[in-house]
Amino acid sequence: MSYEVTIEPTGEIVEVEEGQTLLDAALRQGVWLPFACGHGTCGTCKVQVLEGEAEVGEASSFALMDMERDEGFRLACCCRPESDLVIEADVDEDPDFAGHPVQDWTATVSTIADLTPTIREIRLTLPGEGMAFQAGQYINLQVPGVEGTRAFSIATAPGTPNEIALHVRRVEGGAATTWLHEQLEEGQALELSGPYGQFFVRKSDPKDVIFIAGGSGLSSPESMILDLLDDPEDTRRITLFQGARHLAELYHRERFEALAAEHPRFDYVPALNAPLDDDAWDGVVGFVHDAAIAHFDGRFSEHKAYLCGPPPMIESAIGALMKGRLFERDIHMERFLTAADGAETQQRSALFKRI
Amino acid sequence: MNAKTSKRLNMKERYRIMTRDLDWEPSYQRYEDIFPQESFEGIKITDWSQWEDPFRLTMDNYWKFQAEKERKLYAIFDAVSQNNGQMKISDPRYLNAVKLFITAVTPLEYNAYKGYARVGRQFGGVGARIACQMQSIDELRHTQTQIHAMSHYNKYFGGMHDFPHMFDRVWYLSVPKSFFEDASTAGPFEFLTAISFSFEYVLTNLLFLPFMSGAAYNGDMNTVTFGFSAQSDEARHMTLGLEIIKFILEQHEDNVPIVQRWLDKWLWRGYRLLSIVGMMMDYMLPNKVMSWAEAWTMYYEEAGGALFKELERYGIRPPKYAEQTVTGKHHVSHQAWFIFYQYGHATAFNTWIPTAKEMDWLSEKYPDTFDRLYRPRFELLAEKAARGERFYNNTLPQLCQVCQIPLSITEPDDDTLLSHRDTVHEGERYHFCSDGCRDIFQHEPEKYVQAWLPVHQILQGNCGGADLEKVIGDYYRIEMGEDNLDFEGSAEQRRWNAWKQAV
Repeated sequence: MSYEVTIEPTGEIVEVEEGQTLLDAALRQGVWLPFACGHGTCGTCKVQVLEGEAEVGEASSFALMDMERDEGFRLACCCRPESDLVIEADVDEDPDFAGHPVQDWTATVSTIADLTPTIREIRLTLPGEGMAFQAGQYINLQVPGVEGTRAFSIATAPGTPNEIALHVRRVEGGAATTWLHEQLEEGQALELSGPYGQFFVRKSDPKDVIFIAGGSGLSSPESMILDLLDDPEDTRRITLFQGARHLAELYHRERFEALAAEHPRFDYVPALNAPLDDDAWDGVVGFVHDAAIAHFDGRFSEHKAYLCGPPPMIESAIGALMKGRLFERDIHMERFLTAADGAETQQRSALFKRI
Repeated sequence: MNAKTSKRLNMKERYRIMTRDLDWEPSYQRYEDIFPQESFEGIKITDWSQWEDPFRLTMDNYWKFQAEKERKLYAIFDAVSQNNGQMKISDPRYLNAVKLFITAVTPLEYNAYKGYARVGRQFGGVGARIACQMQSIDELRHTQTQIHAMSHYNKYFGGMHDFPHMFDRVWYLSVPKSFFEDASTAGPFEFLTAISFSFEYVLTNLLFLPFMSGAAYNGDMNTVTFGFSAQSDEARHMTLGLEIIKFILEQHEDNVPIVQRWLDKWLWRGYRLLSIVGMMMDYMLPNKVMSWAEAWTMYYEEAGGALFKELERYGIRPPKYAEQTVTGKHHVSHQAWFIFYQYGHATAFNTWIPTAKEMDWLSEKYPDTFDRLYRPRFELLAEKAARGERFYNNTLPQLCQVCQIPLSITEPDDDTLLSHRDTVHEGERYHFCSDGCRDIFQHEPEKYVQAWLPVHQILQGNCGGADLEKVIGDYYRIEMGEDNLDFEGSAEQRRWNAWKQAV
């Protein structure tokens, strides 16, 4: 049994298991709420329940006073939902968030193509008017025979709402991605819901943008870049760093090279960290964050950065960007976790909210 | 659910509208004349608008909340005094932790009140000013409520009657006093790095949790309730600590080495200061909460470790000498209690040899050090006491020029050798307990040569003369035989036993 909690004003949704605290569920699902002590004595994580019922838990009577309890305030670190909830938390609404409604869809597989030996592209046709989404967002896919859903970023631009593409990397031992690689056929129907996520271009900020992508984490940036380049009014410079192990794993290279040739404001920098002899690679050798450091001479201030890929790549990229004087408010990311990564177990401080 | 359809203003917007126009641009005075302390530490601030207000609380709400907290708190104090709460404590020895708290910690709260009032004036950014203003008022509230929480015990027990006077004069209280005065005489950014970040954010759990849990485990309802009441203000204090450190580090890269030096300094100073908390936990609480070594592992090594790992992204490395605190955690509480035991005639509380059961607990918690180094010492002292030769040390120790703790702490890599460093500055030799304290001196010798060292002051005749009894009685106002000496045979013990028999 779990409850769905909608967090206003961002509209983010977290699933809270029976007996789990709101704060624990949110942090584990990558949704940041303010917090400090974690055990009901400081009151940093105070939220207001707008709809639904939630128990107060072990909140100190000084951190959450009677008058506040009566008004529906709760401490997220102690509060356990007793129904689906809508709460208001002290989190900032992003002015660039469009808030497209999440809907359930039955999609049809139109084409399947191998992009690399481990990544395949699945194109899906959506009925009706199709899905309104922001470039960078993701969908939750129901894989037949696999419990729960799996998140995949949309790799196509919002301009084609009836036809979306997913880049699916085959995860060693992963039930869902193995099925998608081995069993899925064209013409098949798949259940999905979306769009989700806070990973989208902050278009209201005119600064130049940097994309750093690793593996199948190219999907969101691809959608975002196609969307940006499609706008003739937009003048910001765009640089994409794409990382892969070796040449066979580097996909859509020709597509981005063509875009770079066509748009002088777009630069494309692919990097291979372990090129094979046969690759005859004359591009950047090294990790993708090192490619970014070399390209920008280690200075990233006055940019917006968007990172998408596996957690180690994200960590290295954040380190490089911050060393180059770009900070949390200008760094946005989507971590590609696999089911095996599970919830983050490493202890975190309250220093950073999202990164 | 479409978030865009919501007509309700979110908290940030509500706060912005409530507080708009509370700041203004100066027109006929220069910025640097209005905020003269903002630049002299070398910290470069390029844009105060990047300050993210860490808590959005308006003043009217602040008063409403604080008044409600006071009502609840004083209702408990009343109930405790009406029910003879002093008789509900686990063991009269527990009260010595309360005496230590009111003489050593409560005055720090008062200094914090003054400190935040001062530095809050010095920031060009309105967000930082308001945060400091509210914290200043909080600290004054904490001072008052602590005094009121403990005043009930002052009616029945010794050692608490003259705490502000003692704070200014008594030898061991110069340790917390000089710690805080070091921060208060620094610039505004160092003050916040020292107190808001290093102390309130990184080390606060190591001060408050042991005292408050200690109170809970030992039947002291007043102190527990005060603790909860104060902790509910800590949300703001901790977020101010985090915001100030992030803000300074992000404003300019030249700020990074300055902040690094402050973190090295203040975490070392905080560690030394917390020796008295370690001793309180391991020796003074009749019902134990956890050992000092366990607390240090949990709150500093694990929680602090996660924090410093994330700070690495800013180019900040873990504090210098952090590894010495990890080996030191097995020693510091025992060494501190031994200092207080031997100078137990000059303390405003009682000291004692741990009971056999307590020594077994210490053996279990300190398997590598207690039986080897400290149990034999305490057993010898117990033997002497049993023969009527309770050991009091009548010589005066060398104090560290920076932390002011007697040089009775061992080397980080040799627990049988006392650690002693020195340096010569302008022809005078100065002495230190550690590399950490010597580094602090060497960076700002002109500051620390002015230290008011209690032992030097006694020897110079500034503390009521050459007679130790006069110093203790007249100058410190510790009443001989009433406030001090061994718990065994003390006035406190006699009174407690008499009260217990009367019930």
